Amino acid sequence: MMICRTEVSKDRKARIKQITNHPYFGFFIITFLMLIVQLLRVAGVPVSNTLIRAFGITMIYIIIALGFSILLGYAGLASLGTAGFVGIGTYILGYFTKNLEASIFIVILVSILGAIVIGLIVGFISLRIEGMYLAIITLGLSEILNEVFKNAVSITNGTNGLGLDSQLIIFKNLIFVNHNTIFIFTAIIMFIMMILTLNLIKSPTGRALLAMRNSTSAAQAMGVSILKYRLMAFIVSTVYAMLGGVIYMSYISFSIPTTWSLAFSLNILAAVIVGGSQSIYGIVLGTFMIFGLNLGVFQQFDFFKENPAISVMFNGLLIILVIMFYPGGLIRLVTTSYYKLKKALAKLKMKWRNYRYGSDN
Amino acid sequence: MFDTTGFWKDIFIFILVLVVVYTLLKTFTLKYFKNKDRAKTVGLNIFLVLGILYLFYRIYRVIYDNFPDFATMFMMTNIINQTLQVSVLALATTGIVLIFKTSATTNFAQGMIATFGAFLSAKMIQYFTLNYTDMTVTTMVFLAMIGGAITAFLFGVFVDAVIIRNSKDKSPIGKQMITMGLVLVLAGAMPLIFGKILMPIPKMSYEPNIAFKLFGIDLFITVHAYYALIITVVLLVILFSMLRFTKWGLGVRATASNELVAGMMGVNTKVITSMSWAIAGLLGAVAAVMLTPNATNVTVALMTPTQVNAFMAAILGSFSSFLGPLVAAILIPVLTGLLSLVVPLWQNAVVYLIILAVVLVKPMGLFGKKIAKKV
Repeated sequence: MMICRTEVSKDRKARIKQITNHPYFGFFIITFLMLIVQLLRVAGVPVSNTLIRAFGITMIYIIIALGFSILLGYAGLASLGTAGFVGIGTYILGYFTKNLEASIFIVILVSILGAIVIGLIVGFISLRIEGMYLAIITLGLSEILNEVFKNAVSITNGTNGLGLDSQLIIFKNLIFVNHNTIFIFTAIIMFIMMILTLNLIKSPTGRALLAMRNSTSAAQAMGVSILKYRLMAFIVSTVYAMLGGVIYMSYISFSIPTTWSLAFSLNILAAVIVGGSQSIYGIVLGTFMIFGLNLGVFQQFDFFKENPAISVMFNGLLIILVIMFYPGGLIRLVTTSYYKLKKALAKLKMKWRNYRYGSDN
Repeated sequence: MFDTTGFWKDIFIFILVLVVVYTLLKTFTLKYFKNKDRAKTVGLNIFLVLGILYLFYRIYRVIYDNFPDFATMFMMTNIINQTLQVSVLALATTGIVLIFKTSATTNFAQGMIATFGAFLSAKMIQYFTLNYTDMTVTTMVFLAMIGGAITAFLFGVFVDAVIIRNSKDKSPIGKQMITMGLVLVLAGAMPLIFGKILMPIPKMSYEPNIAFKLFGIDLFITVHAYYALIITVVLLVILFSMLRFTKWGLGVRATASNELVAGMMGVNTKVITSMSWAIAGLLGAVAAVMLTPNATNVTVALMTPTQVNAFMAAILGSFSSFLGPLVAAILIPVLTGLLSLVVPLWQNAVVYLIILAVVLVKPMGLFGKKIAKKV
């Protein structure tokens, strides 16, 4: 009897371990944690609107930051054009729904096609201009896009901003969508994006990108085509940014040129750097540090509401400290301290055992 | 504003002709030159200058078609009106290039350090107007400008000593991101330190405009822009002669070419870098104080457009020379001003697109030299 029971429990333990060790398990937990706020609300717990909104926006920013991390962490290309690309995504949804009455699926298709075209253009620019200069050139590109958002009044409604009244068109039916529904959809899309990113960076493409980041000449010598992989990195990151823009527009229902300025790009950059540009969990952590803490926690206190500048300062300080002292990002700090703690605990356990039962020698 | 039919068509046709002619020349006549690289760059430069000249000519034609009698005057007035912008941009660009030379990073925080100085100037002006009512505007602004410049100078030393010196071994992109973090820190810190600024910085003088004649055309310039031009020229002449004739300038040039070797040869690179950060801060603060009367008030975002333009000027003129960015800093506001006549509202976008096109043709900028790298 006894032997049988232990075997069953061992089997169960192994099965649980199989599930928890699966690479997607962490993503599932993160998505679930995000959804809990929404579920609590459905269950009747009074959760404030600002908190739910904070979680929703953080998820959208995680999607954008994932795309940016492929560019910065894996391809080693610093770009400041993110804000412009996200802006294009929002305006595509706004214009297509409002003026052309196109279905959301067509919008997503168009935004992906547009992202591929823009990614190709920026990628070709990045072949000519490298390193520090690329950040400046993409900054210029973002400024051009911002001017377009401001001045193309017939499409973007200029500096007044484009509003949508939370309507979407699905198969020719005008639907007034609930923000809660979009919240759940955003969580699912974030989950899918995380899986896609993981698969991309573990594939030969991701390895080629990493080789390119460490040394372009060495990568070329090993047969990695710089042209192909640079274009690819830019296209992927632009697709993520534009999809983020489409989701942002459907969730917030409002887009104004001043949002898509240099500050937005800098904040996304901050999120990726602070968390750790080569780890998906790091990006989630970083986005929470930069956006989630401010939107979800700090805004609940009056002191931070009166001085919104403090959180900006906090972000900047985090960037400087992380680059100077923890180049791998905060996630590396977390993992190293976890292993150190584990080691220390094992040592303590050993000591206690020696004390309790006597040492071996 | 104007009838601009055919403007873009002509320019596109001209660019196409230039490209075709250049390709033909390159394929058929390049073999007759001894130094092929040099011939290539000289040819490219000639064609770029031709393109820019044609752009100016086409703008002139558009104005001429609409106002045949005043076309030259219209254009000259427009160019003279950009004096203040040119002065501000020249100072900001020189600061960025100076830091790039010594610290090998593109300083995104240049505008913010400058705004830090401008905030203190605004505070000083607030103090002067309340306590010294008999002080003239000119003295007040000059004193405030000196105060702001000294603050930015000290702040530049502080930034170098605390942050940049300790992150020497980081990659260029990492250093660049540190300066981006500095932008966020300063943007958050300044409203906390200085509070709300109630009083705008006034112009340096409110006297009537100065009238003068150039090529037989009557023109006038505001006294504020005139003073700004004089200050800029004096500062830049002092800076360039320092770079050329003093030991510090020799040190800067040595550090720019190779920091490690310069340090081994006895150049105190620490002092050189911190001095260049300080001087860049000073130049920026002076530029910010001169610019503020054109904006409404001193705010955190005061220098952001200038900062972007200064980067563009540095890229267009090449980071590797001091004179190139200066030429670009003159070219960009003038082009923006002229294009605002032809394509109102879109002038900035068009200028950035032109810069993008030029940089794609010449990645090292108009005046840059290609530096061979060891792998």
